[in-house]
Amino acid sequence: MNSVNFFEVLKRSLSGPLVSEKEFNLMVSKKLKEVVKEYDIKFDGETLVPSDDSLADDVYKAALDFYSEVGTYCMDTERIIKFSEEEIKEGLKNAPHKAFFGEGKEAKTFIPRKPESKEPPWCHVGAGIAVSNEEIHSKLVEGYASIPEADSISVPALAFIEAVPIRESPIEFYGALKMLASAKEALKRAGKPGMPILNLVSTAASQIAGIAVSAAQFGLKPSNGWLVPTYPELKIGNNELCKAAYLLSWGANIGAEYSPLIGGYSGGPEGTAVVFVANCIQGILVLKSTYQLAWITNVIDRCSSTKDAIWALAVSGQAISRNISFPLIQFHYQAAGPTTKMLFYEVAAGMIEIVASGQAIETAHPARAVEIDYVTPLEMKFSVEVAYAATGMKRATANEIVKELLKKYENNIKNAPKGKKYQECFDLKTGKPNEEYLKIYSEVKEELKDIGVPIE
Amino acid sequence: MVENSLLDKIRLDLFNYDEKAIKADVEKALEEGSSPLEVIDVLSGCMREIGDKFARLELFLTDLMMAGDTMKVALEILLPKIPKEKISTKGKIVIGTVKGDIHDIGKNIVSAMLTASGFEVYDIGKDVSASKFLEEAEKVKADIIGASALMTTTMPALKDLIDYIKAKNLRNKYKIIIGGGPVTKEYAEEIGADAYAENAVEAIKVIENLIKK
Repeated sequence: MNSVNFFEVLKRSLSGPLVSEKEFNLMVSKKLKEVVKEYDIKFDGETLVPSDDSLADDVYKAALDFYSEVGTYCMDTERIIKFSEEEIKEGLKNAPHKAFFGEGKEAKTFIPRKPESKEPPWCHVGAGIAVSNEEIHSKLVEGYASIPEADSISVPALAFIEAVPIRESPIEFYGALKMLASAKEALKRAGKPGMPILNLVSTAASQIAGIAVSAAQFGLKPSNGWLVPTYPELKIGNNELCKAAYLLSWGANIGAEYSPLIGGYSGGPEGTAVVFVANCIQGILVLKSTYQLAWITNVIDRCSSTKDAIWALAVSGQAISRNISFPLIQFHYQAAGPTTKMLFYEVAAGMIEIVASGQAIETAHPARAVEIDYVTPLEMKFSVEVAYAATGMKRATANEIVKELLKKYENNIKNAPKGKKYQECFDLKTGKPNEEYLKIYSEVKEELKDIGVPIE
Repeated sequence: MVENSLLDKIRLDLFNYDEKAIKADVEKALEEGSSPLEVIDVLSGCMREIGDKFARLELFLTDLMMAGDTMKVALEILLPKIPKEKISTKGKIVIGTVKGDIHDIGKNIVSAMLTASGFEVYDIGKDVSASKFLEEAEKVKADIIGASALMTTTMPALKDLIDYIKAKNLRNKYKIIIGGGPVTKEYAEEIGADAYAENAVEAIKVIENLIKK
């Protein structure tokens, strides 16, 4: 049996069952509650990185049941794109189980891992956080690409062009062009011109601007990765489907991007873990993605460093790793910002959870990823170091370490320190961190060794 | 005065989001002599409890929405029986996500929590133009306009909204609160908003204070 192809997906978006968005939201909540109950999926509030394979497999089975009943909602046509369970299983079987990125000596194959794998994770370095000018942008990209273990990079978004805020308007097109030029120059300076960028096109939030700057004359190669967003939970629009159509016709890598919310339509951590796996299935079936980039946020604390978010990411990561085996990059939003010890504790907890659970990492997202310029290459370097140190770690060990780290920051999540901007803790000329930040970094690494992280 | 058991039943109907049962029980309570204000008082207490539970993530967005819908069914029966001068809501608020932005969960949570807290909420959805915000505020005679943006690229539309209302010489007529992922207190001050809230729980407190000013 052939998988449902993209053209058939588009036809279903124009002919599937008609429901209002509110009805769909309620349907998602109701069905999630049912499958969570049926499969007896429970977060005990204590175990943060579970070692129970049957729990991970139950989350996968629950997601299959759930997605085959609920499907994906097209917000523009108000129709549901539905797949039978048989079509879903066939689609997952035929999904690409590895992804190819980059050019020249930076060309690499992204192969999914298993929980506790001794293979280091794919390290996607950087964050799409906005920065105020090209100088900082360029220094950040050079810094990210210079990290030896970096397999791919996520480039920052530019917030201004010629002092004009870059916004949802034609200005985005010029902003994105400038951002791409800055990134390409920085990659050359780092000696890695072929390094793949997997968050295209940051700076162009609208799909039309993203497609426009991806035209052949602007020099991007299909061996990079383009993010196509979907919306919580399991919703998509015609613009996103159009971007996917463009990329598929070109043979470019499509990265399904999703961010289930604890407290939103998926309810608590259990429903959110199930919907995370359903989003992965959706990314394969609807968007025909070759990789995915995803995270979970707690809506009250607006970050992923809470106990419930760590558990939900761990369980869903294990469920996907064990049952789908697809190139998935997970990451966490941290509450604290650069130059704070808290940021490093949060980053370490997140990296250890992801690596032990069998997934690939994207590095730190400081200060809830919303503060302009609150991002530096040092926390990215630290992320990679912890990820490599956690490679091969048993989930039970990871669980104990993550719990120790939680003790160091959990009480400060609501009032997390914002830290300092790039230009306040890095030398803009040399692109190096100042002594104060380096000292904090070194001290935290020593603390990690004390709690059993074999970091160099 | 009806027996407490019927008011307890109405309370339970709200917690079970049972629109059919609450309709029948509210009608029965009125027939048996309960005053509409007494029933509203009970229901308001329940909604506050539901809002508090959401703040602790013991309940979730869908619970807020369904409780809001159930409350609406009860109010449709109760409000027409109360003289207009005795009807008191905390205030009217028009709420939406700005033009270009289709992220609406944060806004939906604030909207549901405001309803739970006793505000009269007019949720105008997502990707809403500045002119539509103002048109709705004028139509319903709102006290407050609440706008959210989740992306740095859509945040400038918050300034557009305030500029538009200023251009129509109506800035002093409305209190304006803004929020969303990249929005900060400093940005709110910079563009001339009256208030900012970091999350839904804080938004309710800020709006309650704003309405008193």
